[in-house]
Amino acid sequence: MSLKREIGFVLNGVRTRATVPVEMSALSMLRDVVGLTGTKYACGEGECGACTIIVDGVSACACLMFAVDCDERTLTTIEGLARDPLGEKLEQAFVDCGAVQCGFCTPGMVMQAKHWLEAHPHPTRDDICRGIEGNLCRCTGYVKIVDAIEQTARSGPGRT
Amino acid sequence: MKVIEKTTLIGKRIAKLDAPEKASGKTRYVHDLDLPGQLYGRILRSPRVHARIRRIDVAKARALPGVHAVLTAADVPYQRPLGVGKDQLPLKGDKVRSRRDEIAAVAAETEEIAAAALALIEVDYEDLPPLTDPAEALKPGAPVIHDEKTAAPAPHESLKPGEPGDAEAHRHNVAMTFDYAQGDVAVGEAESDVIVDDWFRLHYVTHCCLGVSGIIAEFDSSGNLTLHSNTQVPFLHKREFAEILGMDPGRIRIIQPPIGGGFGSKLDIYPFEPICVFLAKATGRPVKLVFSREEEFVASPTRQPVLLRLRSGAKKDGTLTFRTCETLHDNGAYTSWGATTPFVMMQTISSLYRVPHCKYHTTAVYTNNPYAGSFRGYGNLQATFAVEQQMDKLAAALGLDPLEMRLRNAQDPGETTQQGMHFKTCGLKECLTTAAAASHWREQHLAAIAAQKTPGRFKRGVGMASMLHVGGGAKIYPSDGCGTILKLDDFAHITLMTGASEIGQGSETVLAQLVCEELGIPLDAVTVVNNDTDITPWDVGVHASRTTFIGGNSALGAARKAKVKILAAAAKVTGVPEAELELRSGHIVHAASGEAIMSLAKLLRSLHFSDKAELVMTTHYYEPPSQHQDKAFKGDVSAAYAWATQVVEVEVDTETGIVKLVKVTGAHDVGRVLNRLGIEGQIEGGIVMGQGYAITEELIVQDGVVRNPGFRDYKLVTAPEIPEMDIHFIETMDGEGPQGAKGVGEAPAICIAAATANAIANATGVRIYELPFTPEKVYRALHAASAAVEPT
Amino acid sequence: MAVEDYWAPTSLPAALEHLRGGDVTILASGTDLMPQSHAGRVTFKRGLLNIRRVPELSGVTSDADGVRIGALCTITELMRDPLVRAHFGILADAGDHFASDQLRNAATIGGNVCNASPAGDMLPPLLVLDAEAELCSKPDGRVETRRVPLAEFFVGPGKTVRAADELLCAIRLPLPPPGFVGRFFKFGVRPALDISAIAIGLGGVRSGNVLTRARVAFGAVAPVPMRAPRTEAALEGTALDAAAIARIAAVARDEVRPIDDVRASAWYRRELVYNMTRRMLDDVTQA
Repeated sequence: MSLKREIGFVLNGVRTRATVPVEMSALSMLRDVVGLTGTKYACGEGECGACTIIVDGVSACACLMFAVDCDERTLTTIEGLARDPLGEKLEQAFVDCGAVQCGFCTPGMVMQAKHWLEAHPHPTRDDICRGIEGNLCRCTGYVKIVDAIEQTARSGPGRT
Repeated sequence: MKVIEKTTLIGKRIAKLDAPEKASGKTRYVHDLDLPGQLYGRILRSPRVHARIRRIDVAKARALPGVHAVLTAADVPYQRPLGVGKDQLPLKGDKVRSRRDEIAAVAAETEEIAAAALALIEVDYEDLPPLTDPAEALKPGAPVIHDEKTAAPAPHESLKPGEPGDAEAHRHNVAMTFDYAQGDVAVGEAESDVIVDDWFRLHYVTHCCLGVSGIIAEFDSSGNLTLHSNTQVPFLHKREFAEILGMDPGRIRIIQPPIGGGFGSKLDIYPFEPICVFLAKATGRPVKLVFSREEEFVASPTRQPVLLRLRSGAKKDGTLTFRTCETLHDNGAYTSWGATTPFVMMQTISSLYRVPHCKYHTTAVYTNNPYAGSFRGYGNLQATFAVEQQMDKLAAALGLDPLEMRLRNAQDPGETTQQGMHFKTCGLKECLTTAAAASHWREQHLAAIAAQKTPGRFKRGVGMASMLHVGGGAKIYPSDGCGTILKLDDFAHITLMTGASEIGQGSETVLAQLVCEELGIPLDAVTVVNNDTDITPWDVGVHASRTTFIGGNSALGAARKAKVKILAAAAKVTGVPEAELELRSGHIVHAASGEAIMSLAKLLRSLHFSDKAELVMTTHYYEPPSQHQDKAFKGDVSAAYAWATQVVEVEVDTETGIVKLVKVTGAHDVGRVLNRLGIEGQIEGGIVMGQGYAITEELIVQDGVVRNPGFRDYKLVTAPEIPEMDIHFIETMDGEGPQGAKGVGEAPAICIAAATANAIANATGVRIYELPFTPEKVYRALHAASAAVEPT
Repeated sequence: MAVEDYWAPTSLPAALEHLRGGDVTILASGTDLMPQSHAGRVTFKRGLLNIRRVPELSGVTSDADGVRIGALCTITELMRDPLVRAHFGILADAGDHFASDQLRNAATIGGNVCNASPAGDMLPPLLVLDAEAELCSKPDGRVETRRVPLAEFFVGPGKTVRAADELLCAIRLPLPPPGFVGRFFKFGVRPALDISAIAIGLGGVRSGNVLTRARVAFGAVAPVPMRAPRTEAALEGTALDAAAIARIAAVARDEVRPIDDVRASAWYRRELVYNMTRRMLDDVTQA
């Protein structure tokens, strides 16, 4: 049996404790231990971005992160954007701009867009493409995803 | 009185109904579902390409704590062959024919235990000579891949043309053949002033749905089976599961959670699905079986690799004279839909342009490679790649502009081709001229030719390609229909129950739109139920770009019946003649003035509670007015046909071979735009999928082994690589289509590879006949060409 | 083998103490370790040592010796760091081609060095910049430090001279001499999210069209990221006209030792080395 550790972290604003095998990924912890399934598995090796979460203010692939390393850190997942002004705006823009088809890449895409816009509030379309270069989408051809992020950026920070 | 203006939803930018839930991460895909008491299934796959199984020992795996079942073929004597060719059992007992073959399966309390149990299963193999080249597989004396002693496997019950399962053919490794002819090729050859003759080599690619394959199987205490499945064809699967499992189909219910991408990959039944049912049956517990990404690359279907020889001829004025086509399809170890793609390819060969004389022969050959399934475009990417390159070659040989060459041979509306396809609407010429004008075709094309010989690292060029694809369903099965049940409640809220599945393409929204348009009801008053075979009426599945057209006509039919009922009742209640009434914004209004008379909700309630109490519910089943082709493949297989022309602009880096797709200008005959946002999304996504096929994607299969089973080395297009896109819609208002619309799901992916090939040739003077256009391949071609012209 | 112990120490001496036994897997961000362990390319040792909370391994600082980049510095931190941007532009350029934003945010420079991939994106520029690895251990209760030039650090794919009880604490970079110019090239069809088929770093002190103290390094063309001494010798002090540039690029093409794999053939890699070395030298002379 795997060695386990109990860890504590802030998840979407809530102090959370979890007991996890030391080899487990943060993705498995979120989905299977904590029970939040908005963060998706699609490759398990950091090549697709479907599992993007925000850790201590920067985006990361949850599939590459060890769950034990979440100890004492602050995590935001797609579920945590429900109460986040920029997150809400992004989600609405994804809906309005037609950026969602099968939707499987969408949570990771929204999370990466949120982090990227916080770091780059006035991006060009090319900047946005670079910002989401680690997120694969098989349905949309990315055009409407870039539209959605651009529209969110144009509408200015903070306003809801 | 309130006046309600007439408004329309058709052609508007309508957000998808399921988008808010998806954007907020709340959508539960099959991977996100867990049932109480659920076990986890895993499959042991063959590490050998071709081998006899001498012995399987599962004792250690069975003894592992937490393991509930370990199954091999010996444990499921009731299993029956599955898939299009019925040439494989879910669990293989005697022999493995490809590296993905399923040998054993485990159900355990956790995925980790299941994985540990797999590692404890011992299998002895006796290697057999592998056959991984289809040409080798056809040679006399080649090892036989399907040497089953039993009689010919039963052909797929629902499949009409090109019946597979010929045991004699199997002894020569032939899975399926197609032959088609029109006119007399010898006459065409004699009339030709120029003939081109080329080999084209098309590669393996795979769907790469972001959501990996998965299924949950559960039996209730009465032995009824519920499947939570990603299938694109739930009603056909009911029947097929029943056959494989020896069950009454009435006891099988298929629920489709939202799917993380389809693109044709979920059109056939695959071994993991019945295997999961076997595990559920053996354990009496729900079993969930989900692939890893690596497994998805190894064990899900591919687009079919094809070696294709095409000969075409033309007269001096550019008129096409004849075309012959032979192909060798690498079928892989088993027969899925990939073997039937010649059925679509022949339509492009015979009817994209007028060709008086054609001869077409294809052979799908068994090998020990991964097996090919159906994939968006269904053979048409391959056929178009060849046909449209030769159109350019003929044009060049005759000194014609490629646009002119195509216009001279393009079909017109109203034509019935020699193959029997009737083009009630056909926007091909308008597609050609629109895409050409928008891309400044003539200037760009000539400028690039002039610049071919001038020095410089980067070369620009343009290329065009057109396509013909079914746009009104495809009559492959005995029925190509779809059923709808429409239910209106006391509050004028509609439940639209349709057999047509949503797989991300937006059909749910379009169907709701069509019903709302007909009944004058706002979109937010519709609930679409489309994912449960116990509730929804029959449909043949999501494929062949058919859902908007077939499901749309079905929904429209049900809505029209409801409208008749409502207006008749309204006339009675209001005393205004039916002909003077209309439905707008949830109200009964005077058609002429728009004055609201009463709310629809009130009318429905009064109907419900009146003496002749009635709920407004309607059903409709739509079967398109197309026919099955005859044995010679003649006939009108679709109720409507979609057309498109795409012009691609490339930049070629001659020092690295990198081909950059700069811009795609597309003109698409879509019949009519229903949801502008949705149709743009389909086309943009298709263009980028076509870009991947043309340039970046290749499933590298060497000696039967997939060498790049991950996104690290299987390169999907990323956001910074996408081209600028300029998309034009040609609205031909098809008389058969719902509100004039035709299917468009597959069309945008079809032309890109062909147009890119032509653009590279325009930029560099070098034509490449083999996909994908990876930097190394392009560099080699440029290098070889420049070495050839250098004086020795 | 199952992990039997897990530590997340908060000081360097404590981390080194855990390393003493040697049978330990070191975890920094996990971006390489997680997929490698899943794929079975790496098996966990008895102990798993998470070094992410060791403060001595963070930050970019400068002293009399030059600049010290803590091993835990992420690629994103490097690209934003004023010292790095001021003195080691090619390091920031390489960072821009590194995987994706999510990976740059997590992956560490120390991890990229210790993973010792022949195609490691940051390695050719570090070789060009005369980087040294700062290795620490605690053999008998006292922290000991040694420095190894990066050019001697890699011994094979995934293999380095780091001993099992040593920790890579930092990368040391001398300040480049005045007039230093550097160039980085990574071949790929996309800006990032790509394993390089080849990568080239080159640098030197430029005076007119001559480079002195020339450094050339290649990635993905040999079992280890390599310095190219013959190419450097050809480049050193040579007036870079078109003929000389072609000659130097030919030396580079002959010096690399690429293999055929799914990403590219050896022949094509050599062609790219030739064409791109030429292109980069053209670019240097025109700067």
